[in-house]
Amino acid sequence: MKKENDHGKPGHKYGMVINLDKCTGCGTCMVACAAENNVSVRPDQSDKERVITWMRLYRITNGKEFPDTEVSYFPRPCMHCDHHPPCVSVCVATATKLDFHTGIVSQIYTRCIGCRYCQAACPYGARYFNWWDAYFPKGKGLDRYLSPEVSPRMRGVVEKCTFCHHRLMRAKSQAYAEDRREIEEDQYQTACTEACPAGAITFGDLNNPEHQVSKLTKHPFTFRLLERIGTEPKVYYQSSRDWVRKLGDNFLPGEYQPVVNKTWMKEEWSTKPGRDTF
Amino acid sequence: MKLTRRNFIATVVGGVAGIQVTPLPWKFTDDVAIWTQNWPWVPVPPTGEFSEVSSVCNLCPGGCGISVRKVDNRAVKIEGRPDYPVNAGGICPVGMGGLQLLYNESLRFTGPMKRVGMRGSGEFQNISWDDAFRIIAGRISALRKSGRPEAIAAVDGNREGTTASALIERLMQAVGSPNYVRLPSLSDTYRMGNIVMEGRDAPVAYDLENSDFVLSFGCGLLEGWGAPGRVMNAWGMWHDANPAKRKTHIVQVESRASNTASKADLWVAPRPGTDAALALGLAHVIIRSGKYDAGFVAEHTFGFEDWQSTDGRPHSGFKTLVLKNYSPEQVSKITGVRPDVMVKLAAAFRLAKAPVAIYGKGKNDLNGSLYEFMAVQSLNALTGRINRPGGVLLPDPIPLNPLPYFERDDIASQGLKKPRLDRGGTQEYPFTQSLISNFADAINRSPKSPIDTLMVFSANPAFTLPDGGAFKNALAKIPFVVSFSPYRDETANMADLILPDCTYLEKMDDMVWPVGLQYPFYGLSKPVVKPIYDTRNCGDTVIEMAKAIGESVGSAFPWEGFEDVVKERAKGLYDAGGGRVSFDRAAPAWKPQNPKAGDKPGYNSFDDMWKKLMAGGLWYRPLDQAREWPWLFKTPSGQFEFYSQLIDQAIQRASAKDLRIAVRDDAACMAHYATPTSTANRSDYPLSMMPYEMINLASGWIPSPPFLYKTLPDTQLLKETSFAAVNPKTAAKYGLKQGDLVAVQSPVGEVQARIDLFGGAMPDIVYMPVGFGHTGYDEFLKGKGVNPNAIVQAEQDPVTGYPVWWNTRVKLVKV
Repeated sequence: MKKENDHGKPGHKYGMVINLDKCTGCGTCMVACAAENNVSVRPDQSDKERVITWMRLYRITNGKEFPDTEVSYFPRPCMHCDHHPPCVSVCVATATKLDFHTGIVSQIYTRCIGCRYCQAACPYGARYFNWWDAYFPKGKGLDRYLSPEVSPRMRGVVEKCTFCHHRLMRAKSQAYAEDRREIEEDQYQTACTEACPAGAITFGDLNNPEHQVSKLTKHPFTFRLLERIGTEPKVYYQSSRDWVRKLGDNFLPGEYQPVVNKTWMKEEWSTKPGRDTF
Repeated sequence: MKLTRRNFIATVVGGVAGIQVTPLPWKFTDDVAIWTQNWPWVPVPPTGEFSEVSSVCNLCPGGCGISVRKVDNRAVKIEGRPDYPVNAGGICPVGMGGLQLLYNESLRFTGPMKRVGMRGSGEFQNISWDDAFRIIAGRISALRKSGRPEAIAAVDGNREGTTASALIERLMQAVGSPNYVRLPSLSDTYRMGNIVMEGRDAPVAYDLENSDFVLSFGCGLLEGWGAPGRVMNAWGMWHDANPAKRKTHIVQVESRASNTASKADLWVAPRPGTDAALALGLAHVIIRSGKYDAGFVAEHTFGFEDWQSTDGRPHSGFKTLVLKNYSPEQVSKITGVRPDVMVKLAAAFRLAKAPVAIYGKGKNDLNGSLYEFMAVQSLNALTGRINRPGGVLLPDPIPLNPLPYFERDDIASQGLKKPRLDRGGTQEYPFTQSLISNFADAINRSPKSPIDTLMVFSANPAFTLPDGGAFKNALAKIPFVVSFSPYRDETANMADLILPDCTYLEKMDDMVWPVGLQYPFYGLSKPVVKPIYDTRNCGDTVIEMAKAIGESVGSAFPWEGFEDVVKERAKGLYDAGGGRVSFDRAAPAWKPQNPKAGDKPGYNSFDDMWKKLMAGGLWYRPLDQAREWPWLFKTPSGQFEFYSQLIDQAIQRASAKDLRIAVRDDAACMAHYATPTSTANRSDYPLSMMPYEMINLASGWIPSPPFLYKTLPDTQLLKETSFAAVNPKTAAKYGLKQGDLVAVQSPVGEVQARIDLFGGAMPDIVYMPVGFGHTGYDEFLKGKGVNPNAIVQAEQDPVTGYPVWWNTRVKLVKV
């Protein structure tokens, strides 16, 4: 697939790097996402197959016995796959597509016919179906906190993380008003990125070598989820712990290659391990 | 036309081909999709003018700066403020979901109300503010006239030092009741430890950002300890994306693989309640190696070596005690931590450039143990980490103006001479200001409640106290309960009269020194939106109430409103000088700065400062990392006291037994470990239950925003049942599998939960999350899970008398 826009110039490719050493598992990203994007909250949020979480924290453990047990978390937004996103190719209603200008996989709710093929196709479980209408019972007045920037969804459609697309629109309008052609790195940031109290999430243009994300993706500790199925996710993870990196994909016994400490303390990007050898 | 086979096929094939070409079916599908989606009940949020309002989050004592996005008059999103010294951009999940606490009518009281249904049913009827003041003022006046002002009590959940708490305390003084009771928190343990060892009635100040080795004894660094925004921001800083640049090591001492323990560089797991032994074990290793900070110990401490008191009695010092009782082998038997781990850890601590040992118990909401804090502080003193950069700093308290003196009438003076119901400040509890567990106990034990009218401010003790439901029972016995809560919480549901406060986004409130921060900080929140219901700032309500009571009580409150009081107190900040009211992100407040002689504070008059304080919501004094030694410690010896002479004096006045101290002689005045007592039979109750706190579930008096329930895994809450985390080995012993429903029984009660097999749980301990099991609030929170506080059987901590809530004996019975 060509990574060019209509004018033949390379477009933007927005992506994210999540540092799992910094991630504290607090869940602020999930709350920020739901609050920003008018995600419905129903009284029961424990049925994880039905509850909508564009950004979801997956809790993992290393499976060791006490006192060597460790817990870690994978914050999982939509991966915005860059190469034949599985959801896009199966959508019969053209309700989802990969935008070559931004690299964002969009979702158009009013086009969605609710067939849920995309949900089945997504290898990351990043898509959610609205089994019910948004929960805003009369008399509670919960709808007063809804943001006009994102339309609330109705039952029968699929929704997912949009990389806070409305924030890109906002930044674009701002740039237009100020007669600028480009958007600076800090002018378009997703809600989860801004919210993270530990600064674990970095967001930016992967095609722009000046942006932090394009530097961070070069680190040997950087990996992606299910990288080998070839969907080229634009969400990257970093961890200095081997067992965490190993859980990023399904490895056969002996298949996983741990990161070797070749560059120990010598180069800028050292791979000095964290807890593994404390 | 004749229907032939040929014609038929041609028509069908042609039709099918034709349909492929026309856009109609696709158009229809699309239209159907759109038609079936435009339901009138799907909300369409009205748009309008966007604006941002800066304020301070007041949901916990953390004091993070927040920026609220508004569309016309509606608040639509809360975000962290990058221009705020505490949190520098991020906030915690509870603060992030705060709008659900503002805009939820069934969670809140919409105006003053009186009870119409049974107590606890939550059925109330609207009344006017005038009527509400008439009822409460009439009741208080009547009690005063009958000479029983002490039958009025107040439970105050506001933090000490805030203007709201100062006003409430003043009201009780003016009315004439000694029964002003505060909820115990970790800050109280810190305060008391600082009094007995340093002679300073000041908050604890940990210079975490400048430390390179943080040894955390039980602090839930990632569970909401201290100011969560600050700690998590530091966490991000400590874990630079490039591991080679990491300068700080974090070691977590905790019995469960919490987020902090898992994410730390090293996790050490002693048995719950044995932290003191571990700290002293590390001290033993350091003393034996002879590599402690001898200079600091000799110059600034008291009671390290053996010594003789003025009456000629020989005393053994800290060194002797530790060398005798806390060798790694001895400590290993108590804590279960391997001796070689202790030796390694002690060496790492000693060799670090700027290590600091910090003490806590989960979040700040619950108290700690005095001797444990003393043990950790002793470790800091031994390595000379007190009043040193990156260690424990000793800043002065915030220079807020005290409220002016007022005349009490005779009734008040007589009333204040009566003893406190909770016996705080007596010989048995010499350093404790209030003890709510004793308060509840006194009511429960007397046939008729000695308290006639109880006022509850910013607290939900019926849910949050780890007392096995004792306070709830006491509440039922008190004839008249007034709640000032904005939320329909468990305590408010037991009330007869509601004078609802505004939520934190609708009112002005102040925030004094977030827990653990190393520099003096004062935050001021302001109304982000106008009160959306008929509620009033609790500070205004208290002033109004005092005026309604009249006489000397009314004249003790000469102010127009709450804002005047806040302003009057803040004048002290101006008079003291040296503070700043704006923050530059490039110069973090924790970075030592060298103020130049010409540095201007950024304001030229008090009015100017007040205006800027209101706009920015912050005042702080740049970090002062090392203060001059003379007069720093205000103990009897003028030094840091390993051997606390204040505890010694307290023992002289009462006795070690009265103070519930298990050891005798010199050890009683120093940090030590004693096996906790429990009345429960070990063979009947073979396991321990430990409540644990999480950052993504509010466990204090603030309800959880429903958003948080999205973040909870289904191994913590499934439908209506919460889970108890148990080690697989322990579960196997009782034949329990993942998801089994069990009754967790303690001597005081029983709750039902499902089993979650978790390898990170210490064997033989049942870990239950705090924050579930509400009976108040609305359908989002009500009836979800169980509250472990209901089965806690807590002994009293030595000296302080606070509940030892981390050591309840339980058994598991399969349901």
